[in-house]
Amino acid sequence: MPRLSPPRADALSKATGAERYAFDVLPEGCLHAGAYRPGAALGVAHGRVRGVDASAALAVPGVLRVLTAADVPGPNLHGIMHKDQPVLCGEVIRHAGDPVALLLAETPEALRAGLAAMRADIEPLPGVFDPEAALKRGAPLVHQGRKDGNLLLRAVIEKGKAKAALKAAAVVVRGEFSTPVQEHAFLETQCGVAQMLPDGILHMTLSTQSPFRDRFEIGGALGLDPFKIRIRAPHLGGGFGGKDGATVQCLLGLAALNTGGKPVRMAWDREESILAGFKRHAVRLRCALGAEADGTLTVFDCRMLFDTGAYAHLGGEVMELSMEHASGPYRVPHVRVEGRCVYTNNPIAGAFRGFGVAQASPAFEGLMDELAAKLGLDPLALRRKNALTRGDENCSGVRLTGSTDLCACLDAVAGHPFWTGREDWRKSAPPFTRRGVGLAAVFNGMGYGRGLPDMAIAKVELTEAGEFLVYNAVADMGQGNASAFALLAAQELNQEAASVGLVMPDTERCHPSGSSSAGRSTYTFGNALVRACAALRHKLISRAAMPFLCDTLDGLELEPGRVVHRPTGRAMPLSVLARFLPHDDRICVAEFLMPVAQDISGSARGFMIGFPHLLFAYAAHLARIELDELTGRVRVCDYVCATDGGRVLTRQGFDQQAQGGAAQGIGFALFEDFRLDQGRTLTSDLTRYLIPTALDVPDTVSLAVDGCEDSGPHGLKGVGEVGLNGPAPAIASALRHCAGLRLRQLPFTPERLLKALSKARPAKARRSA
Amino acid sequence: MKVLTPRELPELFAALETPGAHMLAGGTDLLVRLRAAEREGRALPQALVRLDGVAVLRGIVREADGSLRLGAAATHAELLAHPLLRQELPELAAALCELGSPPIRNMGTLGGNICTASPAGDSLPPLMALGAEVELASLAGTRRMALSDFITGPGRTSLKPGEVLTAVIAPPARNFQVRHFEKVGRRGALAVAVVSLAALVRLERGRVAEARLAWGSVGPTVWRCPEAEAALMGQRLTLTALGRVGAIVRENVRPIDDIRASADYRRQVAGNLLLRLAVL
Repeated sequence: MPRLSPPRADALSKATGAERYAFDVLPEGCLHAGAYRPGAALGVAHGRVRGVDASAALAVPGVLRVLTAADVPGPNLHGIMHKDQPVLCGEVIRHAGDPVALLLAETPEALRAGLAAMRADIEPLPGVFDPEAALKRGAPLVHQGRKDGNLLLRAVIEKGKAKAALKAAAVVVRGEFSTPVQEHAFLETQCGVAQMLPDGILHMTLSTQSPFRDRFEIGGALGLDPFKIRIRAPHLGGGFGGKDGATVQCLLGLAALNTGGKPVRMAWDREESILAGFKRHAVRLRCALGAEADGTLTVFDCRMLFDTGAYAHLGGEVMELSMEHASGPYRVPHVRVEGRCVYTNNPIAGAFRGFGVAQASPAFEGLMDELAAKLGLDPLALRRKNALTRGDENCSGVRLTGSTDLCACLDAVAGHPFWTGREDWRKSAPPFTRRGVGLAAVFNGMGYGRGLPDMAIAKVELTEAGEFLVYNAVADMGQGNASAFALLAAQELNQEAASVGLVMPDTERCHPSGSSSAGRSTYTFGNALVRACAALRHKLISRAAMPFLCDTLDGLELEPGRVVHRPTGRAMPLSVLARFLPHDDRICVAEFLMPVAQDISGSARGFMIGFPHLLFAYAAHLARIELDELTGRVRVCDYVCATDGGRVLTRQGFDQQAQGGAAQGIGFALFEDFRLDQGRTLTSDLTRYLIPTALDVPDTVSLAVDGCEDSGPHGLKGVGEVGLNGPAPAIASALRHCAGLRLRQLPFTPERLLKALSKARPAKARRSA
Repeated sequence: MKVLTPRELPELFAALETPGAHMLAGGTDLLVRLRAAEREGRALPQALVRLDGVAVLRGIVREADGSLRLGAAATHAELLAHPLLRQELPELAAALCELGSPPIRNMGTLGGNICTASPAGDSLPPLMALGAEVELASLAGTRRMALSDFITGPGRTSLKPGEVLTAVIAPPARNFQVRHFEKVGRRGALAVAVVSLAALVRLERGRVAEARLAWGSVGPTVWRCPEAEAALMGQRLTLTALGRVGAIVRENVRPIDDIRASADYRRQVAGNLLLRLAVL
């Protein structure tokens, strides 16, 4: 039998530095392209472009061309759902990172000198930087001519009678919460290489989560035939949602139209990545949670305000998912959630791991802790009592027919010594220190949701040499889906995992299979792949029947490297069998379409696509922390995640997702404080925007609950996102436990904590117990 | 850009005569600034003169009077690996342990940290509290001055053209029983100090006979508070006494708001940190 949990297929190549990312691609004679974004240097986030002066830049030796909006051949607009973002801005810049020109140069040095020599005349326009102000009458308009002004989308989820239920509830807790912009801060910044070949095909190698959609983004914006664009997506050095949608894509396509057939590279430096890249939406929430006296939840009411920045990008879709998760992984009969997503002149917000859910979890879990305190109930028991289980109807009115094992997650942490020993931990605090343990229950929907088919098409080939090749069509941004595909194929084909080769996403060689996102990659493509492999296995056994002179398929089996006929013990190596078959016959293709919710009893208005979801991953998290009374600094001492991801394919991949999500969530909770002033980013590099280091994140214990999602490949569900949603509420819960603090504004900086502590109780030293 | 690597002091002085030359110690600040200059189209130095090849600028030596002479071009990691540093200058060792990250400590030098003259320079509060001196050399000869006189403002020193910081001299401080350093940054590594405090306290029969307190990141240069030091004299290190002195610190300190913290937070914490000296 093949080994069950081999190392990741990319472990060795990445550990030794041999893996070639898009960032590493630098063909002979490659030119360099860079965007000129004048807003940041001029201190203007909203302004009219009166002129672009390229004369000094063109005088720099090695600078070849300076392109402006006038050079863009097509409609010059891109965007996943709404085409509202110019490739190059000709009339107006709407945020400080908007580009007005694209430079082509022979060397990176010439490009930098050219960019430094560019000048633009930008007439400042009144800007709007606060989403509430953006909705006021007379607010400056980010986009002219829209019926709804700065309102991108308003949507409502309504189930039952929330207003009446709030009046009738025995107990109601309320709160206003806010979550900040978050930077993806991937190691590999946005980058790619493009070349127009003589046959008229535009070849691109990109650091992208969505190679198939990119063709349409680029083609649409530049007026090109999308099917004459070929995109390859090697392993990404991180994505987290920030490479879902056009970053360098359209600019690089434009560059390649102007190099006379030479290849051209674009790679943003860190400052440009922070200035112009997509961010997590900042959100304000105002919520009320009502319950009966015994803690049974009856009603949840919430208003959300999303700041999407200068362009729509995925603003509406992120808000929809946030609304769908607003009341938490609980049974709540009466729900009303209203969301508004608003344009401002702030940086563009978009997809980020925990897509809207990370913004909602501090609110629903914060109110659960508040409710537990008010009713004098154990916070874990309160969650257990209300936790969604299979067969329940969730807050959107979806009947949960898939695996729903939140209770098992809660039970796993309930028995953990960090939870049972939480009072000892609190009492053992050294001088000037508070100690606490916090809990959070979280979930995250899988897939695109209704209205957008979540489909993947997998292809697997027996090569002429008798080896298997999987045509992976979903980008691997580091989450390990490519390795999972090799393993799933190996299991289905009864081969050693190391013997299965992988083609990385390539729009010419692979079938369209959607983006690497939404906790769908391994689930959807994996399902398609298992089907394709099953078909290939059956085919190979059938094809072997002829040379084996078998008149039935009984007793024929696929083994590592060969087909055997059990009754006679005869075997044929796959390298021999392969030569019997023409190329087309050595290939199997199969597709999978993710199931969607059928009956929705609740009513929802305003959603276009992507609502609701049927399948969810669940998790319960524990954070054990210390809070220093003199400085307000928090140390996360220990962290535990119990995750329901259905059946676990590999523990390594599963644990890495839980641990990575927790680390990024700890950054969101405590460190990452994206600061803006009038649309200008103050945290403009990684010395100002602080992500946690290895010293700031504890070893995270990852527990898997024993589950199985029947619709998943080998029973699995996607676990890429759920882990990010836990740390902020778990740490808030721990701060409440250790010092009675009620924190509702993220991140929990030392400054905010010291202020909250001084209000709660003046700092005083206590001798250790 | 030319890069020169002298081996001896005379060679170094000659190299510094190169037009447009700039000294390069560890480069952990300078290279970042040069990158920004290039990005913004500002002029770059024509030559960089490396200090790391000059052997006499490295290592730790004990002087006749018991002082320690720390080579200005010694890296933080080299200093930390030296047994004399941890034994005799624990407050400096504590500061260097938290400076940057392992790669930064492998490149950055003590002299570089001093000449950068940032109010957040991690080595500065302990060196100030120790009463350290600097040795400066040029073709004209050698001079010594107090570190507190050498640093004249944020990013400004008394270093003259053609002059090199060759060593830092830390006088013996064995008679101080309380030797403390604390850095408050926004994370565990690679963090600029928001507030830091170095404290040396000499006790006689349990009461303060001498206190030297030096804060980083609360003013344009490392800040001393004579009022607080005076108020500690004759006191026992109790929470009450330290709390009272903390209030004096908060009255006198004049921090600023920046991206890392507000002035209010810095003021509060500058006083709070004294409580760590309490004998509990």
